[in-house]
Amino acid sequence: MASSFLDRASTVAPLGYNRFLVPPAALAVHLSIGQVYAFSTFNLPLTKLLGVTHSVPGDWDLKEIGWIFSIAIAFLGAAAALFGRWVEQVGPRKSMFAGALCFGGGFIVSAIGIHYHWLWLLYLGYGVLGGCGLGISYISPVSTLIKWFPDRPGMATGMAIMGFGGGALIAAPLSVILMNHFKTPTSNGVLETFVTMGVIYFMYMMIGVYSVRVPAENWKPEGWTPPVKPPPLVTQAQVAVDAAWRTPQFWLLWMVLCMNVTAGIGVLGQASPMIQEIFTGRVTPQMAAGFVGLLSLFNMLGRFFWASASDYMGRRNTYFVFFALGILLYSTVPSIGSAGSIPLFVAAFVIILSMYGGGFATIPAYLRDVFGTMHVGAIHGRLLTAWSAAGVLGPVLINYIRAYQIEHGVPKAQAYSVTMYIMCGLLLIGFICNFCMRPVNEKYHYRTTAGGTTAGRTTAAST
Amino acid sequence: MKTRGIILWLAVGIPLLWGVLKTLQNAMKLL
Repeated sequence: MASSFLDRASTVAPLGYNRFLVPPAALAVHLSIGQVYAFSTFNLPLTKLLGVTHSVPGDWDLKEIGWIFSIAIAFLGAAAALFGRWVEQVGPRKSMFAGALCFGGGFIVSAIGIHYHWLWLLYLGYGVLGGCGLGISYISPVSTLIKWFPDRPGMATGMAIMGFGGGALIAAPLSVILMNHFKTPTSNGVLETFVTMGVIYFMYMMIGVYSVRVPAENWKPEGWTPPVKPPPLVTQAQVAVDAAWRTPQFWLLWMVLCMNVTAGIGVLGQASPMIQEIFTGRVTPQMAAGFVGLLSLFNMLGRFFWASASDYMGRRNTYFVFFALGILLYSTVPSIGSAGSIPLFVAAFVIILSMYGGGFATIPAYLRDVFGTMHVGAIHGRLLTAWSAAGVLGPVLINYIRAYQIEHGVPKAQAYSVTMYIMCGLLLIGFICNFCMRPVNEKYHYRTTAGGTTAGRTTAAST
Repeated sequence: MKTRGIILWLAVGIPLLWGVLKTLQNAMKLL
């Protein structure tokens, strides 16, 4: 039966294919969807759609617009969890194409919402449709890269997931340039920018769709043989997705990711006011914007650096470093703030944010070590619900505790101290969960009998 | 295949480098 261009069968690489052609495919997709981190550049312009230069009655307010990003992130987690198995079944090309359609389509639907000034259509467009595109696209290339780089899975997934961090660095200035280009006396250019970005991102993601390849069955890098005695926690067995999430290891890793992300995400969202309030009168809004940019940069670089380092240090040890160093840095931040040292403050937070990114990028390789490669993409998708949980927990902790402190007479400069110590507590929980990681019990391993039927704990279909 | 590899890496490298430089330009204000 002839297979279509999008089918998995059409993506199997010929013998001698250079595996370093695959990471750019993943990067093209992740650099596009990383735009979501820069969505806030649209927040203020969206409040001035009717008034153009200023908000007028009838214009949307910031609180209403803030929901667009929250819905997109919630649907990212939900889609990654729901469509993980489908992504594994149909292969990376079809799933990347579906992701590109949803993500690009989300911009176009939102543009229609802007045209008619229907906020619900932005929730549905960028939030729901775009969010599904984010989730599907995020997990699409991960298991493919792990299969291409069995010798360096951390480096490979780190490269792709670095793109998600880097996407914001591109999207933020690009959005501003486009809005300025399309601005007229009667429009602030957001509608045209949405249409343009929808088209640009769809086409850019097609680079990934066109160039992605999966390795042939039983392919191995030339000259590489799997270690006879794999390191502790690295399994040669396979665990199916439906069995994986019944194991304690899945939930321990869920907590590890959730705690690591919570510690970083709250800071990322609050970075600008935080540095201005801790160093009152010494840090201007422009300087604070520079601080936010540095955090984004280190968030991106940490993804590649830490995930690559994990290939040498081991996944468990890498997370031990994240948690131990994180506790040390968070516990010293209040003293650094009191001492008034801006360079030390910035240094502490860029390291913290590098480990936030590193946590995202190292987790797929950790999952591969613990559960094998068979359903790693689908398992990764389900684990990303930890991100959604952390996305609520992190900002709530930072914002509410700060507000509570200020209401009770604590000066603004010191209002973050308690939060920093709470972050230390969360990181300690993560440290303990990581410490408890052991190999998965054999009863969860996927086995195929001579008759081709599955045995063991699960009867999930193999792909 | 070599030319294809160069084109693909440039296609992702150039926008990423542009984004990094723009961010560093902004970060300089902190100093």
